[in-house]
Amino acid sequence: MQNTPKTKLHSWPTVPAILIFIFIPVTSFSSNIQLSTSVDKNQLTIEDSLELSIKISGVRNPPIPNLPPLINFNVRSTGTQSSTHIFNSDMQVSTTHKYLLTPKIEGDLIIGPVIMNLAGSNYQSDPITVTIKKLNPIKPNKNRSVYTETSISKTTPYLNEQIVYTFKLFRKTEARNLNLSMPYDESFFRKENLGKAKRYTRVINEIAYDVDEVSIALFPIKTGESTIPPSMMELDLIHRTQTNRQRDPFARFFNDPFFGRTTQSKHKIFSTKPIKLETKPLPKKGKPREFKNLVGQFSITATVGKESFDAGDTTTLTITVSGIGNVMDVSLTNLNLGDQFKIYPDQPILKKSIHGNQIGGEKIFKFALVPFTTGKQTIPSISLNYFDPDKNRYSTISTNPIRLTIKPGTRTENLNLVQSKTAPTQQKGSTVAILARDILPIHTRVDDFKRVRFDQSQRMIYMLWIIFPIIIYLIAAGYIRYNHKMNEDMSYSRRQVAHRKAIKKLNQLSVSNPEPKDSVRELSQIIREYIGDKLNLQGTAFTSKEVGERLNKNIFTDDKIFAIKKLLEKIESIQYMPVVVHKNHCLIDETTELLISLEK
Amino acid sequence: MKIKKNFVLWTILFTTLISTSRVEAQKNDISSQVTLANEFYHEKNYQAAADIFEKLVAQGETNGFLYYNLGNTHMRLGNTGNAILYYLRSQLLLPRNENLDANLRYAINQTQDQLSPSRGGLIHSLFFWVDSINLIEHFEILILFNIIFWCICIGSLYYRKSPWESLKKISLAILLLAFFSTGIKYNLLSEHKTGVIMGKKVDVKSDRNIQNVTLFELHEGAIITVNQEDNEWAHILVSTDKSGWVPIESIAY
Repeated sequence: MQNTPKTKLHSWPTVPAILIFIFIPVTSFSSNIQLSTSVDKNQLTIEDSLELSIKISGVRNPPIPNLPPLINFNVRSTGTQSSTHIFNSDMQVSTTHKYLLTPKIEGDLIIGPVIMNLAGSNYQSDPITVTIKKLNPIKPNKNRSVYTETSISKTTPYLNEQIVYTFKLFRKTEARNLNLSMPYDESFFRKENLGKAKRYTRVINEIAYDVDEVSIALFPIKTGESTIPPSMMELDLIHRTQTNRQRDPFARFFNDPFFGRTTQSKHKIFSTKPIKLETKPLPKKGKPREFKNLVGQFSITATVGKESFDAGDTTTLTITVSGIGNVMDVSLTNLNLGDQFKIYPDQPILKKSIHGNQIGGEKIFKFALVPFTTGKQTIPSISLNYFDPDKNRYSTISTNPIRLTIKPGTRTENLNLVQSKTAPTQQKGSTVAILARDILPIHTRVDDFKRVRFDQSQRMIYMLWIIFPIIIYLIAAGYIRYNHKMNEDMSYSRRQVAHRKAIKKLNQLSVSNPEPKDSVRELSQIIREYIGDKLNLQGTAFTSKEVGERLNKNIFTDDKIFAIKKLLEKIESIQYMPVVVHKNHCLIDETTELLISLEK
Repeated sequence: MKIKKNFVLWTILFTTLISTSRVEAQKNDISSQVTLANEFYHEKNYQAAADIFEKLVAQGETNGFLYYNLGNTHMRLGNTGNAILYYLRSQLLLPRNENLDANLRYAINQTQDQLSPSRGGLIHSLFFWVDSINLIEHFEILILFNIIFWCICIGSLYYRKSPWESLKKISLAILLLAFFSTGIKYNLLSEHKTGVIMGKKVDVKSDRNIQNVTLFELHEGAIITVNQEDNEWAHILVSTDKSGWVPIESIAY
């Protein structure tokens, strides 16, 4: 069906008109625009939060109203709802903006009027007073469904000593949207994270609590009194309630957690008490002159890349400082190795790790050493001082001296010094200024100049070396399996040796030249033994007819069975003849041929 | 029949002797060439040294120390681009040579762009040892563990005891690791072509034409990754956000 042009003319302005009608704020439904505010509760504790609803009715898509200054609350928007109600022919529209207010202080607090400006007119709501009550001090934490705790590993630490600040959330009920804030005074402390939050269960007063524990390491950087401010945990507590379905036969079924019992969430904020600290300066008594504010427990090791090398060559000295404490502060800038080496320091590498509930790790320093002279040289012991807060004294750790052998080079190269593009640097604490840097000498050991081959033929050789062991394995596996089977499976073993054994006996028989009757008997015996071995039969007392029946069940073809039967019958007839006239050799040859044909 | 057999045997023996003596003569020749080039180098006749080293390379001599010496010679001649190119080639064969590392660092410091060879991503981090072992060593390790694994397989088949089974599993794990490591190394070398800018100043263009927009400039000795070749142009990569086209004659790899 097609629309007439007239109909089209009527319909084209309709759609934009509807859109304008929907999206532009108009007051066409009701001239009575109202702005009202409400709260879900007037009395609450510092741990609770209230929901402020701002309802604007009589206007579609109103502007967002201005909130009053709410300095005593933490404010968070929780969304906007729009609704349209039609009663008879009267349409009512309303928009509700919702905010979550969390009080910061106790007492009577006023939520001021909310103001909205619409088309030059101001609309204003009434102020609301809410009372923030004190927490019940009678049973702190005991039997509460949720509570928090903070602790500090030491309240009187030394300067730069690691202290562990731990926050714990104990809860009996399910919680979601957990948001923890653990503020600290950055002018007093340096912070290091101690990994992810731990979760475990603890029984307190015969009640099992789920505990969420978060720890951070703080290093005091100033002496004197300081305070760790309260930590804040914001979360939604989930309360599951059972619906009244006791009479319902399906009640138990639908109360299963799988079907999601009715849940209620309650937004809560828990704050902990501030913790006061007194940071002590490090003791002056026994303080080494080279001490560099390293506090904790540390160890030091030193290794070199190679202990024997040619003059002009380099070796890498690696010094590793590891332990618990402010390992990140370790520095080895003015390494003193005497006048024996030219030292090129590399950037140190820091690897942090967590030991128990404390931070530590290792810092690796690398130095390229170029010896000035040949012969036996020694890298002296390198010392490091630190303060051990557990033992309350300074300690010195040092590396073992390392002996090096510097061989004279095949040919010494006169260094043609070129000026570096980068400005020559002077090492901290050293009086020797580096004038220039240069490349290290050429390689002179002629034996090392052998051609390295990685062409097609070399690749083929590599491939063969990869395939060759597999072939060896397959051969060995076949042989081993055969041996195992021969030892373990008697029937298989008999079957395998049957032909060889028979042929051997036939050969012996042909050589021995016995009496014709004995020879025929022996021949009969050989054939029977052969069949017995092949079919794994006990004994050899079976007739030619029985042989036919047994062979039928097995692998031999009819013509072969017939040949065996015929031969056996022939032998039997000769055996029981009064005078043997048959030639033995012909019979042995016939038997040999038959056995060979049977093996094919 | 016997005469024929003897003839074949003598022919094989004679051919082997001739080829061995030829290889030996060639080896002696290379040694004398290297000694001569080293002499020239020590006498500061760098051009003569470079000529000999270059000739050996052109003959197909592949050796890490040869490349290293040639790199040093180019460094002395002031050809930083060539020096870095040969140091990089040398590094493929001598990945753990400290002198080479020091000289390559020094050479890179002398360049204007100071670009270091790029490192791979996650696989490179997982197989962190790949850079420290050259391809031939990788194959040798693979062959060694391959032999060990199949010997253990034969042993476990023969003895049929549980310690042999455990050994088999361990050696299989090591063999697989060696196999993947070799595969990654081979792939890196064949796919990840590291090149060096040879021109004094090279404009990196947005496409294969001199009239296209110049995205950025690179200078002699800058280390780049060559992604693609298209006739006279090559697509190069400096970092994830810096790539473009350069004339192929302005780079070497």
